[in-house]
Amino acid sequence: MNEKHEQLIADYLSGELDDVGKTRLEELIASGEIDFMEFLEVEKLYEELGAIPTQKPSEKLSNRFYLMLEEEKKSIKPGWWKVFIDKVLLEVSNLTAPKLAYALVLLVIGGFIGSQINNDQSEIEQLSQEMQSMKEMMLVNMLEGSSAADRLKAVNISSEFSTVDLDAIHALLFTLNNDPSVNVRIQAVEALKRWGDDERVRRGLVRSISTQESPIVITELADTMIELELKASAPEFQKLLEERELDYSVQQKLESSIAVLM
Amino acid sequence: MKVKNGDLDKLGLLFERYNRPLYRFFYRMCKDGQVSEDLVQSVFERLLKYRESYSGNGQFSTWLFSVARNAHIDHYRKEQRNGDSIEIDEERLEVDSDDPVAVHNKEAKQHLLELALDRLDEDKREIVILSRFEGLKYKEIAEILDTTEGAIKVKMFRAMKELRDLVNHLKDECSYE
Repeated sequence: MNEKHEQLIADYLSGELDDVGKTRLEELIASGEIDFMEFLEVEKLYEELGAIPTQKPSEKLSNRFYLMLEEEKKSIKPGWWKVFIDKVLLEVSNLTAPKLAYALVLLVIGGFIGSQINNDQSEIEQLSQEMQSMKEMMLVNMLEGSSAADRLKAVNISSEFSTVDLDAIHALLFTLNNDPSVNVRIQAVEALKRWGDDERVRRGLVRSISTQESPIVITELADTMIELELKASAPEFQKLLEERELDYSVQQKLESSIAVLM
Repeated sequence: MKVKNGDLDKLGLLFERYNRPLYRFFYRMCKDGQVSEDLVQSVFERLLKYRESYSGNGQFSTWLFSVARNAHIDHYRKEQRNGDSIEIDEERLEVDSDDPVAVHNKEAKQHLLELALDRLDEDKREIVILSRFEGLKYKEIAEILDTTEGAIKVKMFRAMKELRDLVNHLKDECSYE
C-alpha cells in the first residue's frame, strides 16, 4: 500500500475525508488496491479505542492550580489606579457606622446647599430679567407722557438697562427726533451713546442729524459722532452746513467735526 | 490573549477548559495519575511564565499541546537522568486470566486495548492519543510535532496497524495462559 492510500484511510478514520475522497477510497477497495479486510480491522479498532474509559484528575490538581494563581497575582505589582481604588475602598471599609453616617449627612447638606444656591442664582437672574422688562415698559410709557420731567426720568431709566433692547432703542430714537424738549433730546443722545456699538443706534443717530433744529442738540450730536467715530455722519453735517443758516459757532463746530471724521 | 495581556483571572477559565484533556493526554502517555497531575500543573506554570510567547495566531489548543508535549519530554528526560523508569501498572491492565470468559467481555477488551496502546512506540502513541482521544486535526498535530500533515496521516495509519497486531498478539498470549 502506498502512502497516498494510507493518508486516505487516515483521513477516513478521523472523519476528515470529503465526498471525492470517499469515492476514491471505495474505488481502491473495489479494485483490491486497498485490502478490504485490513481496512475493516483498522476501522473496528479505531471505534473500539473510543470505548476506553477516560481518567479524571483529583481535586488536588484544582487546588494546586488556584493556589499558584493567587501567588502569581500577589507577585504582580498592581497599577497606580488599582492601588488608588484599593486605598479608597480600604478607607471606606475602615469607617465606623457613626463616621459613615456623619459623612453621609454632610454630603446631603452640601448637596442641598448647592442646589439652593443654584436655585437662588437662577431665581435672581429671572427676577433681573423681569425687572428690565418692567423698566422698558415704564420707559416707553413715560416717554409718551406730557411732562418733560417724566420724559427725562424715562430717558435716565434706560441707563440702568444692562442689555440692549430694541423697543427701548426705538423709543429713544423717536424721542430724539420728536420730543419738543431740548433737554430731553440731549438726554436721549446721551442714553443712545451708551449703545453706540449697536448698528441700529448708529444708523438712527446719523439719520436724526437732518431732523434737528436746536443748535445745542446738533452740537451734542457732532460730539457724539466723533466719540463713536461715525464717519457716515460727515455728509449729513456737510448737508446741514450747505442747506441751513446756522450760528457761526455751530458752523465752526460742524466744520471741525467733519475734519475729524473725514 | 487576555492572559497574555495580564488578565490572570482568565487563566482560571483556561484551566477549567483544558485541565482534563491535558490530564488524559499525560495519563495515556505515562500511566501515572500523580505524575500526570504534576505535568498538568507544570503546563499551567509554563503558561504563566511564557504567556508572552503565544503569538495569538493559530489554535490555542495546538499551542497548549505543544507546551504539554515539551513538559512530558522534559519529565521523561529527567526521569532517565535519575535512573528511574516509568513503570506501567500492568497489574491493573492485566486481563483476569481466572475468568476466560472475561477476555471476551467489554471491560477485558478495553484493558487489552490499553495494554496494546502502552506497548506502542511513544511517537506513534502520541499521534493516536492526540488524534483519537483529544480530537486534534492532523494539521494541528503536524504543527505540534513540527512535521507535515501527510507524514502524520501515514504515521497514524501505521500506528493503527501496529496496534491491531499488538492486540492480536496480546489475545494470543491470554488464550495460551
